Amino acid sequence: MSLIRTVIARAKGLFTKDLRDAELREELETHIALEAAEYVRRGLSPADARRKAMLASGGLTQATEAVRDVRGWPWLESIASDVNYALRALRRTPAFTIAAVLTLALGIGANTAIFSVVRGVLLKPLPHRDGDRLLYLRQSTDGPGGANVSFSVPEVRDFRNGVSSLAGMAEYSPFTLTLQAEENTMRIDVGLVTGNFFDVMGLSPAIGRLTNASDDGPGVPPVMVLAHEFWLKQYAGDSSIVGKQVRIDGQSVTVIGVLQQAPFFPDRVDALCNMVISPHHVSAMMVEGRSHRMTEIVARLKPNATVSQASVEVAAAYSRMQNEYADVYNAASHYRVAVIPFRKALGERAELTLWLLMGAAAFVLIISIANVVSLTLMRGVRREQELVVRAALGAGVSRLRRLLLVENLALASIGAAFGLLIAFGGVKMLISFAERYSPRASEIRIDLTALGFTLVLSVAVAMLLSYVASLPREGSLATLISAGARRASGSARTQRLQRVLVVAQIAVSVVLLSGAGLLTRTMIQLYEVDTGLETEEVLTMSVQLFNQSRMDPAADVANKQLYSQMRTEIARLPGVKKVGLGGVMPLRSSSVRLEVKAEGQMPAPGVAVPKAEMRTADEQYFRAAGIPLKRGREFATTDVPGGARVVIINQALAEQLFHNEDPIGKRIAWTGAVLPFTPLSGDWRTVVGVVQNTQDGGLDTKPQSAMFMPFAQELAMGGGVVIRADSNVARLAAASTRIVRRIAPTAPIENVMTISQYKDTSISPQRLNAALISSFGIVALVMSVVGIAGVLAFSVGARTNEIGIRMSLGADGGRVQRMILREGGVLLSVGLAIGVVGAYLGARLIQGLLFGVTPDDPITLVGVIATMAVMGIGACWIPALRASRIDPAITMRS
Amino acid sequence: MSDKLEVQQGTLALMILKTIEGLGPIHGYGVARRIEETSQHRLVLNHGTLYPALVKLEQAGFIEADWRPSENNRRAKFYSLTESGRARLAREALDWQKTADLMAAFLSPRTETT
Repeated sequence: MSLIRTVIARAKGLFTKDLRDAELREELETHIALEAAEYVRRGLSPADARRKAMLASGGLTQATEAVRDVRGWPWLESIASDVNYALRALRRTPAFTIAAVLTLALGIGANTAIFSVVRGVLLKPLPHRDGDRLLYLRQSTDGPGGANVSFSVPEVRDFRNGVSSLAGMAEYSPFTLTLQAEENTMRIDVGLVTGNFFDVMGLSPAIGRLTNASDDGPGVPPVMVLAHEFWLKQYAGDSSIVGKQVRIDGQSVTVIGVLQQAPFFPDRVDALCNMVISPHHVSAMMVEGRSHRMTEIVARLKPNATVSQASVEVAAAYSRMQNEYADVYNAASHYRVAVIPFRKALGERAELTLWLLMGAAAFVLIISIANVVSLTLMRGVRREQELVVRAALGAGVSRLRRLLLVENLALASIGAAFGLLIAFGGVKMLISFAERYSPRASEIRIDLTALGFTLVLSVAVAMLLSYVASLPREGSLATLISAGARRASGSARTQRLQRVLVVAQIAVSVVLLSGAGLLTRTMIQLYEVDTGLETEEVLTMSVQLFNQSRMDPAADVANKQLYSQMRTEIARLPGVKKVGLGGVMPLRSSSVRLEVKAEGQMPAPGVAVPKAEMRTADEQYFRAAGIPLKRGREFATTDVPGGARVVIINQALAEQLFHNEDPIGKRIAWTGAVLPFTPLSGDWRTVVGVVQNTQDGGLDTKPQSAMFMPFAQELAMGGGVVIRADSNVARLAAASTRIVRRIAPTAPIENVMTISQYKDTSISPQRLNAALISSFGIVALVMSVVGIAGVLAFSVGARTNEIGIRMSLGADGGRVQRMILREGGVLLSVGLAIGVVGAYLGARLIQGLLFGVTPDDPITLVGVIATMAVMGIGACWIPALRASRIDPAITMRS
Repeated sequence: MSDKLEVQQGTLALMILKTIEGLGPIHGYGVARRIEETSQHRLVLNHGTLYPALVKLEQAGFIEADWRPSENNRRAKFYSLTESGRARLAREALDWQKTADLMAAFLSPRTETT
């Protein structure tokens, strides 16, 4: 109890220092006066009495100090004075302070920003209840489009019955619906989910309720749960939407609630609905078709079960299925199932890029710390005299060490403060960057953990800076002082350390620069990919006519008429050369990919059945898009319903099916287990033409096999307009959109984009990667060039006498210059050598992000080495030149 | 070797508390004089010893102080015992008595011979 009181009293003593001092002085004065009065009474003269009393007191200053020691916390007061001193010292050397603060701010800022992204996207626990028990199941096969083939309802059922380590397994089927709002009709991405979905995911409603078992199956009213973000965006966070009806694909759907904020996988969704909203999802076809795979699986581990346990059980259940239904799991396609922790699945796409950025930021930090250490060392040498004087006046080595620590802490905190400014700005940019890779981008923020990270980083930097400075050993000071020394330590150690730092800086810069080079080359390579189109003066737009997702043949006739009306009217716009119609726009992949067979060919055993994308095109499509016809003819106006069934295939499919034979006139057909679930027929179709491959799967993939059917001959499952102009096609966007809007007022119009805009968009992640790493690389280059110049300048400064002697003995300026250049050249070469090895190893780690270049790309490496060498030698030249101009007469005299 | 004694650790607080109990409210000079007289001038307290001890006792709440005019009409800080100070004094005095007895018994010649 008295301890607490003492603490409070001491704390008070800290803040009322002046008042307490005055009171103490008065108290002591009274004491002296009373004592002196006593001596006067005993017969001493007033002056003698006072002197005697003063003597007995033992010194007022000493008494005041003794009282202060118990009154407040003297160490706290002395730290305050240390901080004061440190700030004054930093102000005295503004050039050093500004350089060090800026350097640290860059390093700390970049690391804080990128750490918050890594934490938000990869490390932070999921917002789901017990999120670490969530699993994601993925079925995949070999071949294009096989990375995630999802599951069918019968497969889900078998897993549900066969895996005991799972507490629950929910179905989630990504789907697109048309939401008809009064002023705007839009397509929304939804997840069709089973009633147990939210329970398995461990998610709660923000408002209203979520779906449950009573929402499953056919014959229940359709309901919708809004995703939090969509609710804010579309309904401005209005909670009265809950309980209301909205129109979706022509039916009334009740909004039952708003979901808490949560990331989705594999795709972002606007809302979640029960299955009944899509008649197809509750049909026998969907529920009983084992090869009808449209469903993603999320599962929750039982409390004591492990991921590996679940994996083993899933694998066992899966091999039972494969044995029982061998026809559905073509052995040559290597069907397999992976069990992945949900959090890992969410971070999958971002992981490599983010670790790359974190690594690059760490490198920048290393370089910036090296720079500040180097600066501190140089400053330290100049300050040694001051430290010796302070030691002579009674400061112990530990006290000097503390002084340095406080000073470096001040430096690091100012750096960190500026760094946080950089980080707050940078994080905003990085969030939009991360949105391309991760559904968790909205969770990125500079929170307490990130701030803690910054704090730890700054303190670590300060400690490091304080302990590299060499202080004289305790006890050795007296000798130094009595010997009249101005310096307490030689500069040999300092210089050795500086050289190591410069080598490290150069090596790290080389690694960063070659990373930047490889990523930039990747970006350029992507830009130079031949899309397969003859021209970029092409504008495309998708127009989703109402009710198409329901595949209604009657409505299809009317829709086709609307499409051809759009084609006719847009073709009348000035400057338009050609207008075509098609199901899927060029350079985009079709969502329908089916097995194909050629007449008279037996599928070879052990070889995966060929698959092709299903696409449709009218007679103008290829010419409008600029897709060259290689053989045969294009579609004609005579290829109509009821006419002969004809197809055009691309070169990839021609090669796959017919190798070197001429495919024209051959007959091919759709086939496979999935075909019955589509509105397509398996009739034989005659190949009438072959067109050039186009990069529909993305610029960085191999062209995929595609089969085009006449737009008029098949049920339109999607549609869009391809517009070709002589020049500046982008200017047609507004006029064309107006025409479409007039013809189909409620149809959602999407992706109004020219080919070059589309290319830009699809390359933008690589462009951002390249830009970020390049800016880190440039920062690194500048810092290491400054570093090497600084160290050489310092070395010249320290050797002024020596150089003076050399010159007076006959060495000319050129010789001195070469000597200094050689010194820099050695550092540069060692740094380059280490850097090249590091660059090679680092590039292999980011191989997954590269396209069109190998990790040991000679052009990049040579370019980086040349840049670094030129900049480095340039940096050495300045101090070398200065050295050669040293006047021996002046140096020798001083 | 002088016959002046160093104040032993822990004993000064007890002496001060006892002095204030007997004479309080009393100022610092009074306490010092009283202790010197009681020790027959074998103990001499300089300010650097006395005043930190007073501050500590005040911080711990065993004594309290207020400013009053002294006999020569200067303002002086007068110390008096608080309740917890009184309790502390009683306990410390008892402890000290026991320790002193023990030391006396320990150091007496009789103990040495057994």
